Amino acid sequence: MFAIENLRKTFVAPGNVVVNAVDDISLGIATGKLITLLGPSGCGKTTTLRCLAGLERPEGGKIVIADQTVCDTARGVFVPPSDRGIGMVFQSYAIWPHMTVFENVAFPLRVARDRKYSNAEVKDRVLRSLEMVRMAGYETRPATQLSGGQQQRLAFARGLVREPKILLLDEPLSNLDAKLREQMRVELKLLQKRLGITTVYVTHDQSEALALSDEIAVFNFGKIIQRGTPQEIYRQPKSQFVADFIGSANFLKGKVKDVREAEHMAVVETAHGPFRCIFGQTVAAGQDVLVSARPEDLTLSDKPPGDGLNALTGKVSHRVFLGEVVDYLVDAGDGEIRIRAKPEAEFHIGQAVHVGVSPQKCVALPS
Amino acid sequence: MERNGQGALARAVAVVIRPRNLALIACVIVAGWLVFVPLAALFYTAFTEDTGFGPGPASLSNFVQAYSSWHIVRLFGNSLIFATGTAVVTLLLGGLVAFVVERTDAPLGPLFHSLALLSFAIPGLLTAMAWIFVLSPNIGWVNALMKQWFGLSEAPFSIYSMGGMIWALASHYFPLAYLALGPVLRVLDVRLEEAALVSGARYWQVMPKITLPLLRPAILSTTLLLFMLGMSSYEVPRLIGRPARIDVFTTEIQAATQNAPPEFGISSALGMTLLFICVVAVFFYRRATRNAEAFATITGKGYMPTRIKLRKWRWPVALGVLFMFFLALGLPLMTLVWQSFFRNLAQPFIGSASPFTWENYAFILHYPIFLDAVKTSVSLAAMSATLVVALTFVMAWIALRSAPKSGWLLDSIAFTPIAMPHVIVGAAVLFAYLMLPIPVYNTIWILLIAYVTLYLPYGMRFISGGLTQIHKELEEVAEVSGARMRQVFFMILLPLLAPVLLAAWIYIFVLAVRELGASVFLIGPGTHVLGTISLTMWEEGGSYGAVSALGVIQIIPLIVIVAGLRWLELRVQRRSEAAAAKAQAG
Repeated sequence: MFAIENLRKTFVAPGNVVVNAVDDISLGIATGKLITLLGPSGCGKTTTLRCLAGLERPEGGKIVIADQTVCDTARGVFVPPSDRGIGMVFQSYAIWPHMTVFENVAFPLRVARDRKYSNAEVKDRVLRSLEMVRMAGYETRPATQLSGGQQQRLAFARGLVREPKILLLDEPLSNLDAKLREQMRVELKLLQKRLGITTVYVTHDQSEALALSDEIAVFNFGKIIQRGTPQEIYRQPKSQFVADFIGSANFLKGKVKDVREAEHMAVVETAHGPFRCIFGQTVAAGQDVLVSARPEDLTLSDKPPGDGLNALTGKVSHRVFLGEVVDYLVDAGDGEIRIRAKPEAEFHIGQAVHVGVSPQKCVALPS
Repeated sequence: MERNGQGALARAVAVVIRPRNLALIACVIVAGWLVFVPLAALFYTAFTEDTGFGPGPASLSNFVQAYSSWHIVRLFGNSLIFATGTAVVTLLLGGLVAFVVERTDAPLGPLFHSLALLSFAIPGLLTAMAWIFVLSPNIGWVNALMKQWFGLSEAPFSIYSMGGMIWALASHYFPLAYLALGPVLRVLDVRLEEAALVSGARYWQVMPKITLPLLRPAILSTTLLLFMLGMSSYEVPRLIGRPARIDVFTTEIQAATQNAPPEFGISSALGMTLLFICVVAVFFYRRATRNAEAFATITGKGYMPTRIKLRKWRWPVALGVLFMFFLALGLPLMTLVWQSFFRNLAQPFIGSASPFTWENYAFILHYPIFLDAVKTSVSLAAMSATLVVALTFVMAWIALRSAPKSGWLLDSIAFTPIAMPHVIVGAAVLFAYLMLPIPVYNTIWILLIAYVTLYLPYGMRFISGGLTQIHKELEEVAEVSGARMRQVFFMILLPLLAPVLLAAWIYIFVLAVRELGASVFLIGPGTHVLGTISLTMWEEGGSYGAVSALGVIQIIPLIVIVAGLRWLELRVQRRSEAAAAKAQAG
């Protein structure tokens, strides 16, 4: 496990502008879980990870890794990265080009200070690590003669060889091509579950975050905007930023007419009539809100949708065939609505259509 | 309140005594001492009265004395004409070679590149000497040959003229201009030129309208660099300019310290002007190189060199360039080698009185001062190369990695000597250690101090260049893996950077062995270096044969070293290319 309390780190950007890279962040997760720090570039996710690793020195806050306080600015505690017992995989893989595959993986054991590893033990552990990432047989290769995917696996083997208390991953898949990335994503998830190692994963790729995480922390401007399971983050975003950053969303402007606390429902008056919505963040009657609905949750029909569904009408303005799905743009009068539909039913451009969506899939967000 | 104050103080102390910060402070002190103490001594000497027993009260008398005669006008004129002329001629020659090698399909490109690098092994003093053997009105064999062929009564060329000085220096520096302009021409995005062609421009319109304007920052910066080298040149003005009574700042600054009594005040007052000109040139140089990036002629991707097809002119053009190399480098060198086998003056193609002999070499190799100077020069060069590499390694690492916020400070300190001509460093170091109670005067240590100061910028440039090639994460992942700073340094950084460190070491070693401009100030009765004994032997009438043999003996090992460096560089390059190709295939 690890816990971060009130972490603060500022940088001085060109022009002497002080940037709050990490602005009072608290975060933690239980042993064996995988948490993803997700956000656009410059949101503070990588800085948080680097503070956790000890590669950055925070101005304020406390960090505990597996019951050891590794950083506490109030008491002047700062454990250097070498003594934190962590494994880390960098975006660039950072494979040492002057060593063989074997020596790359063996390095953490050779410099270890908590115990001495015999040669036999080093060999045994390195081979086991390489096997784990399916790189057995490559030991004697110079590290420069590996493909991107192999370097990636090697970086994982090196990160895991010491059996670290916590594994830190800084966008480890972003340099791979799309197909390999998906394959590695699955392997990574299996490996992490099998080893039961607490893992912090930094990415700007929302689909990676949804696929891998036990928990996601969405970052923006140095703050955590929302935390939750992938389902919660996707289904109940608490802000327009989260709804927009994770997946894609349609937004309709409206005003809250009525809040039914018991049902956890709000009725929002929009240009298309009343919409019944759920909400992540509490809203009050009279408040201006945005109604967010995901394209794949909307249905298209030439007849009005059934009772209990929110509805609007419009005209098909664009149609993009993507194979497994078809994307439609519907001109709803006050803006365009994106709908992702199955390719079976066909609507042509200019056709008047009815759009329906379940209230459970509409989220009222404070605007 | 008081408690808070103490807490803040304790925290500040804790921050300062972190090992990285201690290293930063140590570097600032050492490098700052090397650079600014001599400069301060120079300023102090210039702005105080020269009592003959060291500096007296503050005064401008040195300036009045140095700048009040008409002589100063000639000094300015000579220096500026010499430096500008050298820059222009060098740029034209070097630019021509760069264009042929990089933008046409003329053969022999790699040979020219290697020749250019090898030229760097030849000490400037010996080039000047060799040109005198070739083009002196009295003893120059080309002149003698011309007179004989065309029945002239007067020598057609004279090396002892402004033109001769410019030619002697330009022939030595043009490979440098080629090496500076070549890469720029190579990476210039051809598509920018092609876009002009497609837009309807004729081929002859593209050069002046597109190519040259794109190259302007590179041409400007190279010109400034060459101008500065011309301004700082000491060897050519000393050997050729002095007998011709063409004085420039460098020779005047040195001469003033040799007067009886020595006029340190005047020397440093003249030094102020030279320093000022060089600082201005460096300022504009750095601005030009910064703008060069803004021009972004380097796109990196999808670059496909299209070279001008010379067709039947391929070989004639290549041979023309080869002839130029022969004229500029081969001719003086071969003359020097030829002369070294004869006791008296021996003009090639013209009947020589004395017979072929090895005795000059035998003489030099048994000449005690020579052996002494070799020992001093080699050990000085090795020590200064080692010290500079070690110091700039730490400085570059701190500047780039550990304390990027204070990095500019180290960077500026290390680069300051770029604007300091060798004679300025020599004079300033001399004045400083005559005043300071540190007994290094008349020992090799004062030379070592000057050399380290002189070569700081070269070390810094090499090593920070190498360090930026090494991804920061390679070190960070080692730290995270449990390695201490020391282990990161020795197990990761040092092996990765070893080729760069070695190249920097060799480069500085060669420069230091060749050094003359600062050494002339700092040698004493007991210390000689190769440059100063060559100069003394030349000026004090050693036989032509012995002087030439002394030169050849210096040049040969230097050429071997530089060739070795080139070989090392090519090997590293090929290895990394091979590795990249294999990784692609794997």
